[in-house]
Amino acid sequence: MTQRTVRRVRHRRRHGLGYYISVLVLTALCALILLPIVFTFLYSFFPKGEITSFLNQRGNYDVSVWMDVPLSPAVFSLRQYYKILIEEPSYLQLFCNSVTYTAAILAGQGLVIPLTAYALSRFEFRGKNMLMVLIMMLMVLPFQVTMAPSVITLRTLGLMDTPWAVILPMIFSPFYIFLLRQFMVGLPSGLLEAGMIDGAGPVRGFVHVILPVCKPILGAAAALSFADCWNMVEQPLVYLANNSSAQPLSVMFNQISTEGADVAFAGSALYILPTMLIYLYFQEDILQGVQLSELK
Amino acid sequence: MFHRKKIVWLLMLPGMLGILVFYVVPFFGGVYYSVTDGSFANNYVGFSNYLRVWQNPMFQMGLRNTLELSVLCAPTIWFLSFLMAAMLKSLKERSTGFRNILLMPYLMPSSALLLIWLTMFDYGGVVNRLVVGMGLERVLWLEGNALRAPVVLLYIWKNLGFSVVLFSAALATVHPSLYEYASLEGAGGLTQAFRITLPQIWPTAFLVFVLAWVNAFKIFKEVYFIGGSYPDDAVYTLQHFMNNKFAKLDYQDVTTAAYSFAVLVIVMFILMYRVKAVRGEETA
Repeated sequence: MTQRTVRRVRHRRRHGLGYYISVLVLTALCALILLPIVFTFLYSFFPKGEITSFLNQRGNYDVSVWMDVPLSPAVFSLRQYYKILIEEPSYLQLFCNSVTYTAAILAGQGLVIPLTAYALSRFEFRGKNMLMVLIMMLMVLPFQVTMAPSVITLRTLGLMDTPWAVILPMIFSPFYIFLLRQFMVGLPSGLLEAGMIDGAGPVRGFVHVILPVCKPILGAAAALSFADCWNMVEQPLVYLANNSSAQPLSVMFNQISTEGADVAFAGSALYILPTMLIYLYFQEDILQGVQLSELK
Repeated sequence: MFHRKKIVWLLMLPGMLGILVFYVVPFFGGVYYSVTDGSFANNYVGFSNYLRVWQNPMFQMGLRNTLELSVLCAPTIWFLSFLMAAMLKSLKERSTGFRNILLMPYLMPSSALLLIWLTMFDYGGVVNRLVVGMGLERVLWLEGNALRAPVVLLYIWKNLGFSVVLFSAALATVHPSLYEYASLEGAGGLTQAFRITLPQIWPTAFLVFVLAWVNAFKIFKEVYFIGGSYPDDAVYTLQHFMNNKFAKLDYQDVTTAAYSFAVLVIVMFILMYRVKAVRGEETA
């Protein structure tokens, strides 16, 4: 009897004023966060006439005039999707560039980064700490710091203005080495020792022991890296400066929105969609990866 | 842990080779440009490039803006994400949906959201409707100093969630008995957050701050989307200065600005870690 009263009291306490304030604030914030995404998708279904007249209301400095806030189209249209996907291949071309770069970078990172992180976390060797400091330093530097000399390096290698100029440097991105390494450092040391007793060397230990337990952080890194590549701007702007047909779509949104207002939202929505799917798929991995690694 | 295994060098070979070629060599190779004059003979000029660049008003403006933008972004993100993580924790199992939405923009390409952003911040747009609704005058968000608002908000919109996740992970490790004791002693929610939670998760709080600051220092994309290569003076960042000098093939100025910037970032980074080490000893 007393037990039940206590539990009821504690239950009520848990839903005190603070609880409702939290729900209220978080709901409002989440609504704000979702708003731009929701409206991009919504406007992507507006027919050409409506969206053009909507966008033409911009840049008005008359205090008495407001832009409309259209919430639904008079006619629900898929025409602009048809246009960018089938009629005018230029958008699709840029979209494919983005896909190519992202896929190539992710594949390269998959080959290089887990191995490097493994070496930096489960081995003792001279100069290891210095290497980690170097990687962290490179991680915090903005892209522009190594930009000019990178161009010289890439030009020497004959890679400037080719897709490789964008792909190769990103493959060795120090941030992901750091991320994976921090996760591997946190793994219990008994894990590998057990493998060693069973006769697994460093390589088999990596493939059969380390990689399987690293699944969450690998998923997290893949998703984050995908988002990075998908939203890449600085690198293609510089490394592909003289090759506009090889630019990824992320760089070209500036131009698209001024040229073809009718397809601009459809193009944006299509560009958001893959990241949305990736996010939904890797959500749990990202959270777990961050929770389990030694970032804290 | 493996000791003295030769195979480690083989495992690291691809990664280290790439880092060497694409990061380390360019980083140190650039020093050469920053101390030569760029003429045919490429004479050694010592620090005169540095003196010239530091006196360049555009460089000074870019540096000031980069600093000011990071001061606007980093502490806001840090404070907001701590608050949000604390709120998420109080919701317990119901927090999942909220947390997932908060993190979502981190993966969204901000390039694709540019158009809706510009529409929202238009003179006749929804943001100004809100401003007028609060009884204030309309603001020209896309010009002058006000331009910082859409830039900073886009940045915060995108980057808040990741800090929230880092904080949430740390909050999960704080022992619940601490709060029970505090409640018995009559400490309210806010007191608990700042007197118990924050000291308990100090290492993470610090890491989030460093990451937020260092990343805010890299703010360029958001400005480039909204303002292009030559944006308004209020948001002209150091990265713009370097990009534009680069476009004019002025490698001397680019590398010189780059090293000035790099030294600043690294010094800040080291300083923050020193502060952390000192604080860590105090609490230990």
